[in-house]
Amino acid sequence: MRRVLIVDDSVSMRQMVGYTLRQGGYEVIEAEHGGDALDKLTSVTVDLIITDLNMPVMDGITLIRNVRKQPALKSKPILMLTTEGLATKKEEGKAAGATGWLIKPFDPEKLLQTVAKVLP
Amino acid sequence: MNSSSQTQPQEALPSLPLDDVAKQGPGAETELARYLPHLTRMSAQLRQTSTQIESSVVGVCQSFQGIAERASSTVSRTTGFLGGQGKGASSKQSFEGLIQNCSGTLVKILNTTEEAGEVSRRAIERIRQMDKASQSISGALVKLEQIAHENKMLAMNARIEAAHAGIHGAGFAVVAVEVVSQTERAREVTAQVAGLIANLRALAGSTLEDLRRTNEQDSKRLEGCRCEVDESLRDMKNAHGEMEQMLTGITEEGARLASDIGAAVRGLQFQDRTSQQIAHVVEDLDTLHTKLTARFGGLAAGDSVANEGFSAYTMQEEREVAGIGGAEAAAGDVELF
Repeated sequence: MRRVLIVDDSVSMRQMVGYTLRQGGYEVIEAEHGGDALDKLTSVTVDLIITDLNMPVMDGITLIRNVRKQPALKSKPILMLTTEGLATKKEEGKAAGATGWLIKPFDPEKLLQTVAKVLP
Repeated sequence: MNSSSQTQPQEALPSLPLDDVAKQGPGAETELARYLPHLTRMSAQLRQTSTQIESSVVGVCQSFQGIAERASSTVSRTTGFLGGQGKGASSKQSFEGLIQNCSGTLVKILNTTEEAGEVSRRAIERIRQMDKASQSISGALVKLEQIAHENKMLAMNARIEAAHAGIHGAGFAVVAVEVVSQTERAREVTAQVAGLIANLRALAGSTLEDLRRTNEQDSKRLEGCRCEVDESLRDMKNAHGEMEQMLTGITEEGARLASDIGAAVRGLQFQDRTSQQIAHVVEDLDTLHTKLTARFGGLAAGDSVANEGFSAYTMQEEREVAGIGGAEAAAGDVELF
């Protein structure tokens, strides 16, 4: 079963994304912010990371930069799932190494389609 | 959701005209400083509201997930039961399979009964053949009777001729007497055999009649059973068809429910946006509070204004957040006066 790490400081968002992915047949791991995600990535292997942008402790862009520094995670697909739609922010995410950018609110079916597309 | 790392809302705000307040004189500054605690209260109120919204949305979301899972499980179990296609099919035989098995068993029973009828028909035929053979034996016995009669007549003639021959025919007369005696014994045996055959034929005739009658009744019963089985199987297939239609309806309903839940989940994401907006407002209020406290905070010296012009904070939790004392909490959810 493919494993997805969801990083969002909102409990409800983690729950909604988690439920959608579980229904789609994925195993889900949750993290409250970028720092929490990095901690979890030291002990578990995931196939995909879905992260929010604005979070306490460590935001999504910083998380991506840190993930990309690790050779084992260099090519791991990372999707941004955020309310932020500014083109400059998207560019920043792309430059940091994001694989894709989804704007909240998300459509469950579209999320599953996007996840299936980016997973190798 | 959190906006602590965002700077855009702050940049968008106009600069605070603090110098204008200062120009109004120390009285205005002091007056302004007395309102500072209200900014803190408003921030706390907004944070609490945001937390409450999130908690409610999480609860609603969990309920939706429970509904979706139950609906999915129901459809899966029904599919498994009826068609053997779903998850439940592995542990239980499908309804369609049961009908097929039942149909197979009934056909086997009918065939076995039919085979028994066939055996009975063959037995009737054999008894008929045995009767014919008995008839032939009876014919043969009649011939034996005639032969015996002729032998008796011959012996009588031999005795007459022996009498004519006198002393010379005495030995011949003894043989003739013996022939008559043997012929009589043969006739007795023939009569016994004829009697036995007659008994045998009578027995065969009654058995034949019994078998014929039973076979006829069995054939009628078998035909009746075949009709009933056909009708029952037709009814079961119809019932299965109706249940399949019902299942299709349930499956379609499940798909619609899943779609509705998807839409509801999408709708519930308003909370994330709302929380962010509230967080931005709280952040601005905190910034405003920090700036005003830095400039005028020293003037207030704990002499804050009362609640005139501000919300009444009617809920206990609001009063707790706002730090307004003196109002006792109600003993419970219900209070009679």
